[in-house]
Amino acid sequence: MHEELVQIINGAVPEAKAQLNSAEIGDSSITVDSSAIYKVCETLKNNDKFNFNVLQVISGTDFLPEGEEGYLELAYILASFTKNHEVIIKTKLSRGSDDNLPKIDSLCKLWSAANWLERETYDMIGVDFVGHPDLRRILTSSNWEGHPLRRDYVVQEIFNGMVVNPPEKMNLEDQQFGVKTNADSLSNKNPMGI
Amino acid sequence: MTFDLSEEEKIESPQGSEENIKSEILTVNMGPQHPATHGVLRVEIKTDSEIVTEAISHIGYLHRCFEKHAENIDYRGVIPFVDRMDYVAAMNMEHGYVMAVEKLLGTEVPRRAEYIRVLVAELQRIASHLMFFGTYSIDLGAFTPFLYAFQEREFILRIFEELSGARLLYNYIWIGGVWNDITDGQLKRLSGFCDKMEREIDKYHNLVGLNKIFVERTARVGVMDEDLCYDYGLTGPILRGSGVKWDLRKDRPYSIYSEFDFDIPVGTGEHGVLGDCWDRYWVRMREMLESIKIIRQVLEGIEAGPVMGKVSKIIKPPKSEIYLRTECPRGELGYYLIADGGKVPYRVKVKSSCFTHVSVLSAVAPGLMIADLVATIGSIDIVLGEVDR
Amino acid sequence: MSTMTPPLTFKSYFSNIWTAVRTVFKGLTITTRYIWAEKPVTIEYPEVREVLPENSRSRLYNDVENCIACNQCATACPVDCIYIASNRRDKEAPKIKTKDGTPIRLDLTQYVIDTSLCCYCGLCTVVCPTECLTHTTDYEFSQYTLDSMKYDYLEDDIRAWRDRIVK
Repeated sequence: MHEELVQIINGAVPEAKAQLNSAEIGDSSITVDSSAIYKVCETLKNNDKFNFNVLQVISGTDFLPEGEEGYLELAYILASFTKNHEVIIKTKLSRGSDDNLPKIDSLCKLWSAANWLERETYDMIGVDFVGHPDLRRILTSSNWEGHPLRRDYVVQEIFNGMVVNPPEKMNLEDQQFGVKTNADSLSNKNPMGI
Repeated sequence: MTFDLSEEEKIESPQGSEENIKSEILTVNMGPQHPATHGVLRVEIKTDSEIVTEAISHIGYLHRCFEKHAENIDYRGVIPFVDRMDYVAAMNMEHGYVMAVEKLLGTEVPRRAEYIRVLVAELQRIASHLMFFGTYSIDLGAFTPFLYAFQEREFILRIFEELSGARLLYNYIWIGGVWNDITDGQLKRLSGFCDKMEREIDKYHNLVGLNKIFVERTARVGVMDEDLCYDYGLTGPILRGSGVKWDLRKDRPYSIYSEFDFDIPVGTGEHGVLGDCWDRYWVRMREMLESIKIIRQVLEGIEAGPVMGKVSKIIKPPKSEIYLRTECPRGELGYYLIADGGKVPYRVKVKSSCFTHVSVLSAVAPGLMIADLVATIGSIDIVLGEVDR
Repeated sequence: MSTMTPPLTFKSYFSNIWTAVRTVFKGLTITTRYIWAEKPVTIEYPEVREVLPENSRSRLYNDVENCIACNQCATACPVDCIYIASNRRDKEAPKIKTKDGTPIRLDLTQYVIDTSLCCYCGLCTVVCPTECLTHTTDYEFSQYTLDSMKYDYLEDDIRAWRDRIVK
């Protein structure tokens, strides 16, 4: 199935440069160029034989090997409920920076489901979807900083005037396995309530 | 600002003539602490008198960073976290995740374990749909059915407690099999439960589903047609309520579902139009009957044997990725798992059905009465734990 | 949506009323049966206490005399709520063994479980090689402060608690 899809994509959208990543274990996927993602999805959606009519997932993964620049990988998982198929379309993006997020075309015109999925990806991974009608954060607060699922993400220290993860609530002392330093806090007079 | 209310609705509005009374658009926040939103969902409603012109859902109040957590815990440790996504149907959540990891590892699961997995998954489906039945009745103003539903649900939870040791968050289905074996006594009790449950469902349907007040509240309300479902990626009972015969257990069989004989109930538009709230309710009620059918077959066919396959102590799948979907009570749940060959998963992305289901609210809501919006939210049966993850 | 309602005719008006009366009456007969035909299913909690099934996963208990401080439970814990500290046992000290015969090479100096963080998943009890860490069926252990949810299993009164719970 995948070889045929690659041919279909390359026939209709030559600039996509679709490639097949066949896997022995797990699922195979198709990598396309990020600039052609809209056309690729449009082709797959309108293809009569496969008819990928449902957008299931937009998932972003941050690949950041040590000492390298790394890249973001977006996976668009499409499914056909009429013809019973499923395909993973992947595309690579540069990681960009906080004020210059990597850009990719939005799929909102193809599927309404893309609206929230793209908002989630923007929130968690930090990808700017060009043409999205309402690109706001969805799971975190609107004034949250950073994109949590990035590998180099550091939690902000102060949020809305509150200290994030205050040390006195984190049981930090306990986690330093070693000498029994926290004896006082532990030997509660009546720990078992008897 | 423009609001696209159709002409008929304007005439229907209680004010009568539009010229005399100037109505104002009012913004009402429903939630995040609201009994009818099933958790911490906030729906910002712009209303023109009683009619909703726009509904914007705000989520994220229950975000517990599951996907970030999963990057730091080993494969076994993720299972308790997976439970906490859809805490009403935790067994189904586990089932999907565990199968994804097993596929990467190439583990063979003993037959008995597969049977038990199907058994608990279907029991959980019944429990979850009973929960829907109860809470939906509460949404529509009937309290009694809730207690009836919990009575039967209690039996299932008790069985689960005896099996796994917990009532809600089981950590029962493990990589390679299941934790505990099921005893003959429990199987016997379950077969008695099946007979009772069939009668009970009939009773519930007579009590609530056929009631004229209930029908009036749900029929022709919140209609979602097939195209809308595909557009928004709606799955599960909502898709089936819209008349699409699609069930992963039949169409893309996983586990040992291909060996069982059951039907896929679809909506018929019996009391109103196809794809309304009543259809979704009716699909769920009949799904319970189908689940009982499967449980009966499990009880007949269950084989003796071990319940745990051979799994190494440290789980290290090879560098690979997988996307696996399972049919959960609320819709399709997909796990997109990327393994990099280490002890911890590199990325676990969850395709949550509730997440996509909430997004459809803004498309369905315009033109509904506020009370009908409550009925619609109830009928898509969301669990906020799965929406926010 | 009200616009989709079929037009109200003389016939449907009365048939609506009839259906309403009929279905409401049907529902009422079902609920009325519960007055005498069904047994109560609830229990009155403080007076009647439910006995949990044997393998119910409730408060953790560690039998420190059998613990070899292997740290496996702390590693398996997905929420990191088990805090263990130990010293190497002196060579001159008398050799002791656990109940199942495993020699104890480390002296436990601290074994604390923060029950307020515990998610009762049971992963720690499974990996325990000497089966000293177990779940009990005690579910009544509310406390006033978070600090008192930290249970130090080296304390003396733990055994008393254990004896009270487990018959």
